[in-house]
Amino acid sequence: MAPPTAELSHLPKADGSANFAFGGYTITAAVNGPVEAQRRDENPFEALVDVNVRPAAGVGGTAERQLEAILQPALRHLIPVRNFPRCVIQVTLQVMEAPENAYVNAKVLQPRLNLGIIPALLHAAILGLLTATIPLKTVASATCLAITNADGSTVKVDPTPAEIDQARSVHVLGFTANRDLLLAESEGSFSAEEWDTVLQTAEKVCCRSQEAENDAEMGGYGAESENVQQFMRSVLEAKAAEGLHWR
Amino acid sequence: MAPEVGLSRSTFAKLSPHPYLLANLEPSDDSIPPARSNGRAPFEVRKPTVNLSSLSHAHGSALVRTGDTTVICGIRGETILTDHIPNFRASNTQTELADYDLLVPNIELATGSAPQFLPGGPPTTLAQTLSTKIYSLLHSSKLLRAEDLRIWHKRPAEAPISGYEDEEEVGNEKQEGEEYVVAYWVLYIDLFFISFDGNPFDAAWAATVAALRDTKLPQARYDPDREMIICSKKDPRPLTVESMPIACTAVIFTGKETKEQAADGKFWILADPDTLEESLCDETVTIVIDCAGGSRRILSISKHGGTVMTAKLLGSKEFLDWASKRWEGFASAMTGGR
Repeated sequence: MAPPTAELSHLPKADGSANFAFGGYTITAAVNGPVEAQRRDENPFEALVDVNVRPAAGVGGTAERQLEAILQPALRHLIPVRNFPRCVIQVTLQVMEAPENAYVNAKVLQPRLNLGIIPALLHAAILGLLTATIPLKTVASATCLAITNADGSTVKVDPTPAEIDQARSVHVLGFTANRDLLLAESEGSFSAEEWDTVLQTAEKVCCRSQEAENDAEMGGYGAESENVQQFMRSVLEAKAAEGLHWR
Repeated sequence: MAPEVGLSRSTFAKLSPHPYLLANLEPSDDSIPPARSNGRAPFEVRKPTVNLSSLSHAHGSALVRTGDTTVICGIRGETILTDHIPNFRASNTQTELADYDLLVPNIELATGSAPQFLPGGPPTTLAQTLSTKIYSLLHSSKLLRAEDLRIWHKRPAEAPISGYEDEEEVGNEKQEGEEYVVAYWVLYIDLFFISFDGNPFDAAWAATVAALRDTKLPQARYDPDREMIICSKKDPRPLTVESMPIACTAVIFTGKETKEQAADGKFWILADPDTLEESLCDETVTIVIDCAGGSRRILSISKHGGTVMTAKLLGSKEFLDWASKRWEGFASAMTGGR
């Protein structure tokens, strides 16, 4: 699978913006904030985090509302919301491209939750927040896993939409940089043992940056999935170096 | 709990609900057992009651009550001819339910069920999120079988008019006497919250499962002359619902009003939260479990909004055992509900 690509601060009017592409998904994030909240939604103690997900075609439906409901608490946990009372931090996530699945009838309005898109949305949102220079307590990354075979021994990292369709269970797990489980969302049928395997694999995929070099057993994942936390760091370092070039 | 303090109990609860809940969970007097503001122990759930077939015009219905959360689910079957399905393929026998949208859940949070639901306006985010969750879980849990929703028809034996080459070919292709799917049942699953006091998903999902288990579809046959489905009220056929997935929700109370985690890392898992507890906690975890037939299967886990509930705790035996216990409570309420 192609390594992730990102473009930062490419929208001139937004406070922060990022384009993130991985696994067939391309997401553009635009972040505005902290700006004054409307009287109606202002909270005198903390900032409101407003997440909008817009699909590639058509207007958002109930599935997009649920994606927002999954992302919003995760982002709210990362942002020190108590430092910005009466403010709103608006994160708009526009799906630019989604991988096509030739095996299913494409419907414009998908009422079902699409788990595969969550990691890309989360990464785009975090890159957007970072370019908008909104303080974050920590960063997080997520990964999608699928158990494909009957005995539950093979865990596929970053499955394609066709594999997700065929899989017995699909999981999305997000970890912060401190290796804490931030979000989990899974569907399908699985046992407690399979759940343990999934948790361990996801933690390795998300958090292996520190010991990646000297960990031999990680070789198997390296080919399939890039470490996103490390990737985000290198993109931002490059951007910062470019910004300081005139000195 | 000192009665001589100036504030009365209810005033304290209204003014600062967060310290109030904390004071209840961490009583200063050791002789008082820790309890939540609603009097329950941290892991104690509200006992569910299920009432089946209470709606006379629906094909199946269930009323589920847990504490002050009451939801009624009515299931109504409608028929759709396969000719009217735009993307119909006769060879598709695997993904009919999703491709033809044969399950249509809808949730209404009634005005007056809770003070925050105002009349008029579009469906709230909560209602939309709930209906997507129910929809996704209905499909991912494979609760229903497509076989139950198919309506078959036997092509009548009619002699093809001889002399026309192409007509004969058509006759060969569609063999006479062959059975084929002429129509499908579409199940409209309507959930209506009569009263709302926290934990809407558990109650809504339990009502959906109970109502589907209660659903009996009428006998249906195709009338080729009128090109429509005719139903008869005689011996209706129940749906095959073998599994019984149950959702178990808990919130995590950290005892600190600020977002930062308490230094001592102390936290409480509050099972089956009510509205007050939901508003005070950021982190929620929902597990959908099915223990039918002895083996324990997890059908969905979702966890949002914090990092207190670690991966280790989420896979721990205590947590799964608690979920199994809750499953037993719901399962006995559903099967013995009549």
